[in-house]
Order: sequence, then structure tokens, then C-alpha cells
Amino acid sequence: MATATATTRALGPTAGQLARRHAWTGAVVAFFFLLLAWNASQTRNFGAFEIQTLLASTLPLAYLAMAQSVVVIGGGIDLSVGAMLVLVNCLSARYMEGTDLRGSLLVAAGCLAVSTALGAFMGLVITVSRVPDIIVTLAASFVLGGVALFILPTPGGGTSTGFQALVLGSGSAWWPALLCLLAPLLLVWAPLRRSRTGIAVYALGSDRNAAFLSGVDPLRTRVVAYAVDGLLCGLAGLATTAFTAGGSPQSTIAMNATLNSVAAIVLGGVALSGGVGGLIGPVFAVWSLYLIPNIMLGLGVDPSYGEVVKGVVVVLVVLAGGLLRARRERAP
Amino acid sequence: MVALRSVDLAVERGEVHGLVGANGAGKSTLVKILSGVLSPDAGVVEVAGRAVRLRSPAHARASGLAPVFQDPAFAPDLTVAENLRLTGTDQGAFRRRVGELGLDGVRLGEAAGSLPLPLLRMLDLARVLAHEPSLLLLDEITAALPADYADRVFEAIRQAREQGRSVLFISHRLLEVQEICDRVTVLRDGRNVDTYPTSESKEQRIVASMLGERAALAVTEPRKVARTSHAQPGEPALQVRGLSDGHRVKDVSLTLARGEVLGITGLEGQGQDELFAILAGDRRASGGEIVADGRRLTARHPHDAIRRGLTLVPSDRWQALLPQRSVRENLAVAQYTAPAGWGLINLDRERRQVAEAIDRLSIDTRAQAQARRLSGGNQQKVAIGRWLVGGFTTLLCFDPTRGIDVGTKHQIYDLFRELAAAGRSVLMFTSELREVPLACDRVLVLYDGRIVAELAAADADEAALLGAAHGLAEALTES
Repeated sequence: MATATATTRALGPTAGQLARRHAWTGAVVAFFFLLLAWNASQTRNFGAFEIQTLLASTLPLAYLAMAQSVVVIGGGIDLSVGAMLVLVNCLSARYMEGTDLRGSLLVAAGCLAVSTALGAFMGLVITVSRVPDIIVTLAASFVLGGVALFILPTPGGGTSTGFQALVLGSGSAWWPALLCLLAPLLLVWAPLRRSRTGIAVYALGSDRNAAFLSGVDPLRTRVVAYAVDGLLCGLAGLATTAFTAGGSPQSTIAMNATLNSVAAIVLGGVALSGGVGGLIGPVFAVWSLYLIPNIMLGLGVDPSYGEVVKGVVVVLVVLAGGLLRARRERAP
Repeated sequence: MVALRSVDLAVERGEVHGLVGANGAGKSTLVKILSGVLSPDAGVVEVAGRAVRLRSPAHARASGLAPVFQDPAFAPDLTVAENLRLTGTDQGAFRRRVGELGLDGVRLGEAAGSLPLPLLRMLDLARVLAHEPSLLLLDEITAALPADYADRVFEAIRQAREQGRSVLFISHRLLEVQEICDRVTVLRDGRNVDTYPTSESKEQRIVASMLGERAALAVTEPRKVARTSHAQPGEPALQVRGLSDGHRVKDVSLTLARGEVLGITGLEGQGQDELFAILAGDRRASGGEIVADGRRLTARHPHDAIRRGLTLVPSDRWQALLPQRSVRENLAVAQYTAPAGWGLINLDRERRQVAEAIDRLSIDTRAQAQARRLSGGNQQKVAIGRWLVGGFTTLLCFDPTRGIDVGTKHQIYDLFRELAAAGRSVLMFTSELREVPLACDRVLVLYDGRIVAELAAADADEAALLGAAHGLAEALTES
């Protein structure tokens, strides 16, 4: 009977569908472990210390890639992620200087509240004014960068050692940095992804019109996406403060960070057209991009070439992905 | 721009109410208002006697008004299940409706974008039905829907009526409207012109009030195939021999004479998309050959086909047009297929040619600054007109009259006949069986990638074509 077949087959996704949906993330994870194995084979006594270094030094960019992913999945792009990182970095470095762990944590909470509110405000402006994301966030990046200079005109400031140890771990304790990375994934993104609002973010990026007709409120959805973006950018700023034990208002840091976040999400399987991807892939992409210069160094190549190789890898991987997709669409 | 001037419309409980009108009459705008997409400048919408302000699609749905649009409201990258969560649809109710519509093997975990469009539209209908709406808004739901799906839609409409729901049924297919609706309202220029019970009104009367007095006579006049073929003997314009493409297109051979209008028809997904893409140079065949203008054509790119006079007007007008550019540029663009010299564009000549094309196709140029502002019918005219300017031997047209009003349809048929008389050839795919005898000299029926029937226009009535399209060709050849 037709009804019976429809009902029995209309269950959850099959294993094949799941595999297809997460194929890209799987590939990036595999790529990372390949690079890790290569790097490990070059290094004598590769172990916990190297892992800790990897996790701690990539923590800011990993947060930033996650932030960018949320916005791009929702059909936008945020060119101010780097500036937001710098702003929070300066803000926290100035006020954490000379505090103990408790004081630092209070400052951190305040910084996150500020960056989340700024993100939400940006989402509001974009939706209400109907000016494209790329323009609003570009303008915002100049504003945020300028404010950072007010707060901390020259590199300086500081933080407490307790805060540093809490965020990054110390010595060969690699798990604090990993926990810090996982915290927003588990506490913010996972519940959001399962909620109607999270689905609405994907829907908005996938097809704005269909999303609207399905009852998605574009304003609410975009404000939530940008608020999460702001929160993650704030975490990136705090991680920078912990890692560098201070703050720096240099605009080149912001620019580099923004561009790297875009490279990471593209490599991590987030479609720039919106609606596709996740947050795990981009994190592994950040780690992979970090390992490439290390491996070059291990091979005795001038590390400046590392940047070149990074660029080539991004292009090749995206190209290969595009070819595979085209082939799959061609096949019945 | 005013799309709707003043519309009064009452749909009774348990009534199937037809809404017809030429393109640009305001049907879509009315549906958008009723489904909460647009807000009206003035006027009231009452549901069950109570005035409601429809603020958003979600709110309209909650008020019992549920639309199914021609483009299904499914976000393509989300799974069907996620799309259901977005609209707050109960999965169990949805599954029951899917079963009632006879759709097998629908997996809720599948990405919506990977499902074929007709199926997606049926799922949209199932989703809407799962909300048990008091008024179902169906906007051109049967356009380009395979016949078996269309039958199920009608079945669902009848069932909804029995359950005391109301249906607002919008369609260009008047026969359908006659068959399924209790009453019909005709819109013209943003006003409701008239409402009749379908038991009284003849199809011709609907057409007459749709078009106003002017063109009514010309259109309702029965135009059977009492016209001469312009097919010329001698070297054909296009010859296809044993063309294959995996299991989509199987051993297709056809000959198109100069001055001939050859129709191809079939249900959804019988290989027509691939066949036309191959002919237009947009896809490579796995076997067979194409002979255009007496020489073998191996196209690597649409450019190669265009250079040999084989030009395509795709079904998706957005794919053909430069939506943000002017009508003039859209019409003129096809002649610049190569950077001809490095000289300047001869604007005088271009203006003359464009003016000629606009005149010949009677394109409504009120909104000429941007092609996307034109109505669907005028967009289609521009898509065809660019090849009148650019030049061609064989025009490939894929569903040229999809979603176009009756008046414009006949203008397009007339244009095809004129082109044929001038020695040009037209190969058109159409999903609307009734237009075959109106436009074509001959028709081929595709089924499962093969040509299963060939009929002269005189024999190509709906029953014969429908039979062949369902793979009943054997029965045909015997009779």
C-alpha cells in the first residue's frame, strides 16, 4: 500500500545521505590528521607539548573561523571579525592588567557582553537598512578598529597568569585549550543548530525567499546569527589576550585575521553562497593551515613559502571539491 | 507601480474558486497579499467573517490561509524534515498526506534541493494540507506538472472540498479550471471583471472577459490545423541521428525540415532537458551525431551551436535574460557573440534592429529599463526576440509558453508560423499538449528517453498525445 511505503521510508536520513552530507568535513579531518602525522614524523619526541602549542596558538583563529561560518551559513559575510577580535583584545588587555583570575573573568564576561551586543546591533542594521552585509561589516571594521586605538593606543596591557592557564593550559596540558574551544560549540552552537532558529539560519542562507515563505523572521534570525558571531569573535579576542599576554591595536592583525577566517571556512566546507556547512570543518581547516608552514620548516624550506603553499592548498582543495560535486551531479 | 487596483472576491466555505486572468492582471499579487507576503495599501481580508491583518506568511498560515506557489517554499540545502520544522508542520500529518497523494519513497532526510521540482511541489502541497487550512491557495500548481501528478492534485482538491475547505485555484489552463472549479473569477488590469459559475460559462467566455473586448474574437475563434505547412523539401535544417546520453536520451533520431515547426512533448523527466541541452551545445552526447545546415556539428560550448544557427530559448527565462539590463541590451546582446573587430558598436543599427524586434513581437516596453521588471510573457518575448536580432536557422524553444497568458501564447504561435513561412525552423518542447496542434506541423513524443510516437498536427489531439506520453505508443500505431 502506498501509505505504508511512504510512512516506513519517510524515516530519518540513511547512512548514505549522512555520509554525503558530511563528506567534506570528513575529508578535512582526514587531511588534518595526514598533516599531523607528517609533522609528527619530522619532530623528535612529538607529543603533548606540540599538541598544546597547536591548540593554543590556533585558538583565536579557530573561534574566528567559527564566527565567520555562522554568518556565512546564514547567507552573509562578516568583514569585521578581525577588527572585533582586535577590539576585544585591546579592551580586555587594558582592564585585565593587574587583576587576579576573578577580576580577569569579570572583565572577560563584560567583553563578551559587549561583542555579542555589537554583533546583534550589526545584524539589526543590516536587516533594517537593507545595505548588503559586505558593506556594513566593512564599515564596522573601520569603526571597531578606530575604537580599539582609543582604548589601547599602543601595544600593551596585560592579563593574569591564572586566566592564561585557564584558557590555554600550561606546559604540556593541552586539554584546557581544547575545552575552551569546545565550550561554545557544545553550549551555544549545538543547541542552536537543533532549534528552529538554527534551522532558520541555514534556511535564510539557502534560499531567502523560501525561508520567508516558510515563516522565517529574517530580522530575528539575522540578529541571532550576528550575536553568535559577535560572541565567538569576543572569545577570539580573549584567546588572543591570553596567548600574547597583552593587547595590540594594529590594523594589520585585524585584516589578516579576517582574510584567514574566510580561507578557513572555504577550506572547511562552508559554501560562500550560504546554507551549507558546519563549524567543525572550519576548525580543522584552521589547524591544517597552521601545520603547513611547520611542515615546510621541517622540510628545510624557507617558511615564507608556507604562505604560498597555504594559498595553493586552499585553491586546489576547493577546485577538487567543485570537480567532485560536478561529477556527482552528472552521475545519475 | 500599481499591480492591483481593486479586487472584491468571496470564496464560500467548501468551494473551489478559480482565478484566471492574463499575465499582469494581478493574480500573483492577490495571492501574495492573501498569504501574508505583501501588505495591501487598502482593503480588508476577512476569514470566516472576521477581519484579519496578515502580517507574515506564518501569520497567514495560522489564520488558515495556506499557499502553494509555483516555486516550492523549500530551502534547498535543508532536508525535508528540517523544512517541516521551519513551518512547524507535524511530521505524522505530513506523512499521511504524502501517502494520500500517492507519493512513494519520500525520504525526509533527503536535501530538498536534490528532489525533482514536480515532486517538491507535491510535497509543498502535502505540507500545506497537513496544516488543515480553511483556504488553500494554489498558484499555477499544475504548470509543468506531469499529468499523473496533476490528477492527484485534482483528487486532493476534491477531497478538500468534501471536508469543507475552500480552494482558490489559479491556472492558465482553462480546461482545468472548467473541470475542477465551482465558480471562476476573472481578473483584468488589477480588477475583478466578472464571476461566473463554471456550469454556465464557456471557456470562450472566460477568455473574452480575460482579454477584454479587443483580442477576444481572434483568440476564441477555433483555429484548427487548417493551415499549410511551410516545410521545404531538400536539405533539412537539422538532422539528429542516434543521439544518446547515458540512460537519459536513447537513440533519438529526428529530421527538421527548413520552414518546419516540429514539436516534442512528454511527461516530466523523459530526457527532454538533456536532449535540448545537447542540441544547444551545453552538454555532450555519449553517442550519435547532429547535422546542422548539412555539416556535422560537434559543439563544445553553446557558442559553437549558435555559430551554426542553432539557438536555444531555455524554459527558465532568468537563465536567458540579463535581468538587470534594459530590454534594448537584452535584445541586442545575441549579435555580439564575438568581439567583432575592436570597433565600436553601431548604435544606430542596433537601435533599428531592436525597434524592429520590439515591433514584431509587440513587446510591452513600459518597463524597459530593466528586463526583470517585465511580466513573464514579455520576458519570454525578449528571450525569443534576441535571436530575431542575432540571427538563427533553427530556434530551439523549451516550453516557450510556460506560465504565459492566452493572448501572448497565440502571439508566440503566430510568430513561429511566420518564421516557418520565412524558411526558418523551430524545434519546440511543450508540456502543454493542447498547444501542439496550434503551433506545430508535426510532433514527436518522448518517453523514457526514446521517441515513441510521431504524429501529424491534425492527429495530435490531447488523448493521442497523452496516451503516447504515458508509453502507450503501441496502441496508437495499431489504431
